[in-house]
Amino acid sequence: MAAFELPPWMALAPALTFALTALVLFVVDSIDPDSENRTLVAGTATLGSLAAAGFAVWYLFAGTGEEPIVLFGDALVVDSMSLFFAVVFASVTTLVCVASYDYMADHHYQGEFYALVMLAATGMTIMPSANSLAIVFVSLELSSLPSYALVAILKKNRGSVEAGLKYFLVGALSSAILVYGISLVYGVTGSLLLPEVASGIAGTELNGVLGVGMLMIIGGFAFKTASVPFHFWAPEAYEGAPAPVSAFLSSASKAAGFAVAFRVLTVGFPIQEVVVGATASVDWVLAAQILAVATMTLGNFAAATQDTVKRMLAYSSIGHAGYALIGLAALTGGNDQMVLGASMAHLLVYGFMNTGAFLFIALAEHWSVGRTFEDYNGLASQAPFACVAMTVFLFSLAGLPPFGGFLSKYLLFAGAIGAGFWWLAAVGAINSALSLYYYSRVVKAMWIEEPTGDFDIESRPVGIYAALAAAAIMTVLLLPGFGPVWEYATGAAAALGA
Amino acid sequence: MAALPFELAPAIAALPFVSFLIALLVGAFAPRLLPKGGAIPGILATAGSLLLSIWAFVAVSGSADGMYHEYITWVAGAGEATLDLHFGILLDPLSTMMLIIVSLVALLVHVFSLGYMNDEGETGLPRYYAGLGLFTASMLSFVFANNLLMAFMFFELVGLCSWLLIGFWFREEGPPSAAKKAFLVTRFGDYFFLVGVVGVLATFGTSMFVGSENMEAFPHIAEQVLAGEGAVEVTTFLGFEPQAWFAVLGLLILGGVVGKSAQFPLHTWLPDAMEGPTPVSALIHAATMVAAGVYLVARIYGFYALLPQVLAFIAFVGGFTALFAATMGVVKKEIKQVLAYSTISQYGYMMLGLGAGGYVAASFHLLTHAFFKALLFLGAGSVIIAMHHNENMWDMGGLKEKMPVTYYAFLSGSLALAGIVPFSGFWSKDEVLYEAFVHGLNSPLLLGAYAMGLLAVFFTGFYTFRMVFLTFHGEPRTDTARDPHGVGWNVKFPLAVLGILAAVTGLVNMVPVQKLLGVEGIDFLHQWLDAGPEVLSAHHYSTLTHDFAHYTAGTIGSADLTVLLSAGVSLGLALAGAGAAWLLYDVPEPVRHTDRLGRIKTVLFNNYYQDEFQVWLAQGVTLPVAKAADKFDQGVIDGVVNGASSVSLFGGSRIKRVQTGVVSNYAFLLTTGLIVLLVAFGIMGGWF
Repeated sequence: MAAFELPPWMALAPALTFALTALVLFVVDSIDPDSENRTLVAGTATLGSLAAAGFAVWYLFAGTGEEPIVLFGDALVVDSMSLFFAVVFASVTTLVCVASYDYMADHHYQGEFYALVMLAATGMTIMPSANSLAIVFVSLELSSLPSYALVAILKKNRGSVEAGLKYFLVGALSSAILVYGISLVYGVTGSLLLPEVASGIAGTELNGVLGVGMLMIIGGFAFKTASVPFHFWAPEAYEGAPAPVSAFLSSASKAAGFAVAFRVLTVGFPIQEVVVGATASVDWVLAAQILAVATMTLGNFAAATQDTVKRMLAYSSIGHAGYALIGLAALTGGNDQMVLGASMAHLLVYGFMNTGAFLFIALAEHWSVGRTFEDYNGLASQAPFACVAMTVFLFSLAGLPPFGGFLSKYLLFAGAIGAGFWWLAAVGAINSALSLYYYSRVVKAMWIEEPTGDFDIESRPVGIYAALAAAAIMTVLLLPGFGPVWEYATGAAAALGA
Repeated sequence: MAALPFELAPAIAALPFVSFLIALLVGAFAPRLLPKGGAIPGILATAGSLLLSIWAFVAVSGSADGMYHEYITWVAGAGEATLDLHFGILLDPLSTMMLIIVSLVALLVHVFSLGYMNDEGETGLPRYYAGLGLFTASMLSFVFANNLLMAFMFFELVGLCSWLLIGFWFREEGPPSAAKKAFLVTRFGDYFFLVGVVGVLATFGTSMFVGSENMEAFPHIAEQVLAGEGAVEVTTFLGFEPQAWFAVLGLLILGGVVGKSAQFPLHTWLPDAMEGPTPVSALIHAATMVAAGVYLVARIYGFYALLPQVLAFIAFVGGFTALFAATMGVVKKEIKQVLAYSTISQYGYMMLGLGAGGYVAASFHLLTHAFFKALLFLGAGSVIIAMHHNENMWDMGGLKEKMPVTYYAFLSGSLALAGIVPFSGFWSKDEVLYEAFVHGLNSPLLLGAYAMGLLAVFFTGFYTFRMVFLTFHGEPRTDTARDPHGVGWNVKFPLAVLGILAAVTGLVNMVPVQKLLGVEGIDFLHQWLDAGPEVLSAHHYSTLTHDFAHYTAGTIGSADLTVLLSAGVSLGLALAGAGAAWLLYDVPEPVRHTDRLGRIKTVLFNNYYQDEFQVWLAQGVTLPVAKAADKFDQGVIDGVVNGASSVSLFGGSRIKRVQTGVVSNYAFLLTTGLIVLLVAFGIMGGWF
């Protein structure tokens, strides 16, 4: 195939690229700390993200991950699942970097901003590869700590700072729970490596300790994915953070949480032994079902009553975490490729449509349009292109054809029904119907309502427009182009042995 | 490359359609340019259709496989398990015969309309002729349709045109209401037809009447399935076996037939449809609307022949309708009302014939009836012109001397209708009854249907000649009748043509003569309908009825005696009916004898309260049910929906309150949530 053989550690190239870009940005920033050369830093970050995306896509096409590559004493594993998610993270990061070029125009700490984004992306990219609970914790922290700083990066903005602090406090609590859970599981099984954890579970009698540890680990993931009851930080953080950061957190960070949860739960706590087998100890699938139903219901119901668009999107992203949780909640221990793959595919499509929606908020904030639904009244007459893109994102989020969100959500529900969990699909469908209500409120405001005041739209920020256009095109193209995505998603699910 | 007459076949329907467009567009934008309000284009178009139909008829008889079949695909299914939808032309003996009937009657109706509409100074003539053109075009397309879906579309278009034309005088009170009734009642039947069409498509994957290179005809598939031949697979629904499911499909399609052909219980629209102009009535009754139903059954007879229960049902409904309608015709005052009930009754005979396995007999009756019924309506139209649009027969009398052409033509039609030898109606009705009789000897149900049909012969003879005597004989009873309005050539010409046809058409199929005298080869219609492709031929159908419906012909004594008996009884009854009418009404001053019927008269005058029954069905049953459904919808469904949304919004606002903004609350709730989970799972898993 290839004319030359790359060394095995090069399998981590996407994560390494992010890390390297972060270091380059630090170098640039230390040479010229007060630089306002946005083009240089944003360009470097964008190039780095694109390179990471390029590596991930290349590996996927080349089939690098088909035979899992195990590195550093089994602590890391690179397979099609980790590459699939690397594509998601790198795409979202690229969009965020491009859009931030305009959004962060008037702010200081340009170099720090992009460096933090790159570091968080590094952590996220390592998360799906984590094959050891230690790596799980370290990579999760690596992605979380820069996120706290990113939320609070608008130092003069009280909302931003408050949100950052709250995010950090809830995150610290959650990390404590996670690491405590890891220690309990280690105590029971005597290993941190996921395959050994799995074999250790088989021989243990300490079900109580194991169960508490497992639920605490799930709690740690619930924090990262903004699932109930660990979701409290999300609305505040998403609302207070700069909109590109909200996009980054609600799309990439959430997907990273799911990626690591998929691997840890299916590899470390195999359903056959832990849930359905003869020595079944902890029904974590049931826990996932409870979390899924609670998360999507709470997210959607709360979103329906919001007054500001950004906060509505924040809750809707909680709702989408609930949908993605179906991927874990409808597992049966055999033939789970479909539902798990559907969940991954949904996270990919969601990465584009949700990022796009938040970037539209970024654009609105850039224009100082206002925050409530009423402020968006008649916006389409001023900015038709951006409003078309936003409409695409919202309808795709609601799961309407002909957008990518329709197919991924459809397959998710179909997978749940196929696995026998029709009620999960029913709850999901009811929630989707409700979500259409609040998404259409925005569409109605933009296109149908008369403007209440004058818009002061002077500029057409190229960066945000480009990111919006790219996200919209991807959201639309992911419907006809769903075939390959589906192939890789089911391949990634198969890599987990589902 | 098919022969030229086949290449021209689409023009058979296209010509009247063009005349429709001319009447519509020129009539709307340049009415002065339109000769005779659109009649001339219509006459030319239908004459062209007639010539092309005859040409196609000749070409079919000369072609190698006895038919012409060509189609285009207008919806191509994508992928497996989908189906294509087609438009196509099927010219075979049956359809070319029907094309000639339709275009001939349409031509004569157009000519007659010159006298009935133009000479009477009616307004809105372009609209009238546009309607006639579209009506003719739709019916012709329906006749040469090659699949059930296409047939259904033109079936509907025929229904639409009947609505337009029955309600032609829309400023008066009666016609719009009658038009609506005709539309709604036939639509009720067509609803079942539509379900049947979808069912056929879903079951067989095709609705073709005849197979082609890459597709089987659906009756043929059904035949193979029921015979257990080959590897033909069909999809049945609702857990039915193929036999039962096909019967369901057959009955569904029959719904459309019962509505259009005005069979009991959906016959009620037809008498009211007399509100339309009389030439339209002639067209509706003889060749288009009403004929469409029976023609459809004949068209897919290969399907019905497989289904004994459905055949028995058709026969019974037909026999019952024949008798039922004939009894109502006995007491009517208006000449067109009598004819209306006679139409219902005669189509009942055709259904009886089809149900009894007499495919040729029913087609034969369709042919003869088309001519004599068109004749009677046009004759009635002529009388109505003469009577200054008074239709009450009690105001007529003695018109015989004043309008001899009309009288003799009308008499010819009446003799045919009553079934008096040697007029056409005798031969066809006799054959229908003969088929029902011989097959009924082995099936009590068919025998019952036959008995009703036979009894109806007496009533037919009676009401027909009651009408003739009241109208033309005796002394004129009003001033109008003493001095009737004259009629022109454009009225007399169609009457003369049809009068001759009504008298002689029966000669094309003198089966009893052939059987009794042994003269071979005078059953031309039998030979003709047998000449087409094998699967559409008469002998194939009789094989099917024999093999699948187990129809066998019985005899009384010898075969000749059976023929004689059947013909003799029906002729005797017809003569008896006519004689009774002669006794009662062929007097200078006829009086009403209906009072002697006592309470039966009231029932008959009210048409067995069928209208009242249907109104009660609509107002007493459907309306309350609809109201209850509405209540349910408004109260329960909408209530649930509204309730769900208010509960959602309320719940949402509660959830919003949980998000207090105080981070210690979050930490508390988060920890509580985790502990609740831990405790619940701990209790479930027995950790403690």
